[in-house]
Amino acid sequence: MDSPLLSEPLFLLGPVPIMVSVVVTWAIMVALGLVALLTCRLTQVPSRVQAAAELLVITVDSQIRDVTGAAPAPYRAFIGTLFVFILIANWSSLIPGIDPPTATMETPAALALIVFLSIIFFGIQGGGLGGFLRGFARPNPVMIPLNMLESLTRTFSMFVRLFGNVMSGVFVIAIVGSLAALLVPIPLMALDLLTGAVQAYIFAILSIVFITSAVEKGKPPPEKES
Amino acid sequence: MSFDLWTLGFQAVNVLVLIWLLQRFFWTPVAAMIVARQESAQKMLDSAAAERAKAKAESAEITATRAGIQDERRAILDAARAEAEAARDLLLQDARAAAQVLQDTAKAARVRAAETLKQTAIAEAQGLAVTIAGRLMARLDGAGTDAAFLGWLAEGLATLSDMDRKALAGATITVVCAKEADNDAQARITETIAGALGTTPDLTFRTDPDLIAGLELHAPHVTLRNSWRADLDRIAAALADKDAESDAA
Repeated sequence: MDSPLLSEPLFLLGPVPIMVSVVVTWAIMVALGLVALLTCRLTQVPSRVQAAAELLVITVDSQIRDVTGAAPAPYRAFIGTLFVFILIANWSSLIPGIDPPTATMETPAALALIVFLSIIFFGIQGGGLGGFLRGFARPNPVMIPLNMLESLTRTFSMFVRLFGNVMSGVFVIAIVGSLAALLVPIPLMALDLLTGAVQAYIFAILSIVFITSAVEKGKPPPEKES
Repeated sequence: MSFDLWTLGFQAVNVLVLIWLLQRFFWTPVAAMIVARQESAQKMLDSAAAERAKAKAESAEITATRAGIQDERRAILDAARAEAEAARDLLLQDARAAAQVLQDTAKAARVRAAETLKQTAIAEAQGLAVTIAGRLMARLDGAGTDAAFLGWLAEGLATLSDMDRKALAGATITVVCAKEADNDAQARITETIAGALGTTPDLTFRTDPDLIAGLELHAPHVTLRNSWRADLDRIAAALADKDAESDAA
């Protein structure tokens, strides 16, 4: 059994190695693109596919609105795509012979990196660069190093959490499958489904929580009533 | 343990591209459709609310119209009732007037009939009296009766005024007798008249059975009635006067 911490390139594109996770990600992108094409013919009386798509949008909007208390439109595409991609990537392990992209370190790290950058982007967009930087000095300037360290570690924790849960699930299933390949891994695979959904939800919710925190910290504090 | 930066870059770009793709072709169109449906539903709700308000207004208008119709119907019924009562009063008044006319006419007819009946009765009574008197005369002594009437003639002439007696004395007197007067009777009559007037007037004799009994003197200016016919006429006149007085009372 190969170490889950090791990933071998599927093929080389010149000097660039193309890993399996990248290819699976492309497949997921194609699949999601096809689903999006299926829902491109939108009507006032929705089909089943359109109704499911609208249910997904409404659910994502509701979660964003509950966390931010603001209109969900600026965050909908980012948070919704993160959730859908991670969910599909986690569940791709059910396809025999496919390792989920999130079970390798590069994909969760890329997602965490995108979230880290999006926190900066939305923080500056919400309160300006000065406001965003002043957010690190709260509640007082002494906290600046700790706040900066926190912004790195919380993003790193998202990466580690997602990678660790998915990788461990795949690793356990692989171990059990090597010992008793027939039927025994099925409960673990079902548990892996639940774990994958929960991890996708946690990653998306934490992302919007951190983004909201950055936006709120960037805004000027309300004046105290005399 | 390995960590490939190329893969990190690929996956980051892949996720960013996927975010862009889904934003372009999934999240935005579907959210726009949801908003459009909500707006459409809101429009339908607003339209329904407007229709409901319009229906309420029309219902209120219909209710008001119905109330107006009821008032108009009540007014028409009142007018018709008043008109019917006026017509009824007019008919009653006409009927009362007609009944009064009928009553008056019937009363007048009854009075006329009673008068006619009374006149008839009087005439019949007179006729009966004449008949009775005639039959009584037939049974009485003719000479005694003539003497009695001659006596009453003399008394009648005596009661006349001097001017009437002079007028009789100077005029031609027609002596009307109930039965044919023979010469002796004419002589007694002439003697009685001459005795009463003091002179012998110019006398002519005529017979009238209607007198029943007695005799009368007819001069141009004086008439002396001395017969049962005259008595019966006086009795009838007295009865008529008495009836007239009782009717007037």
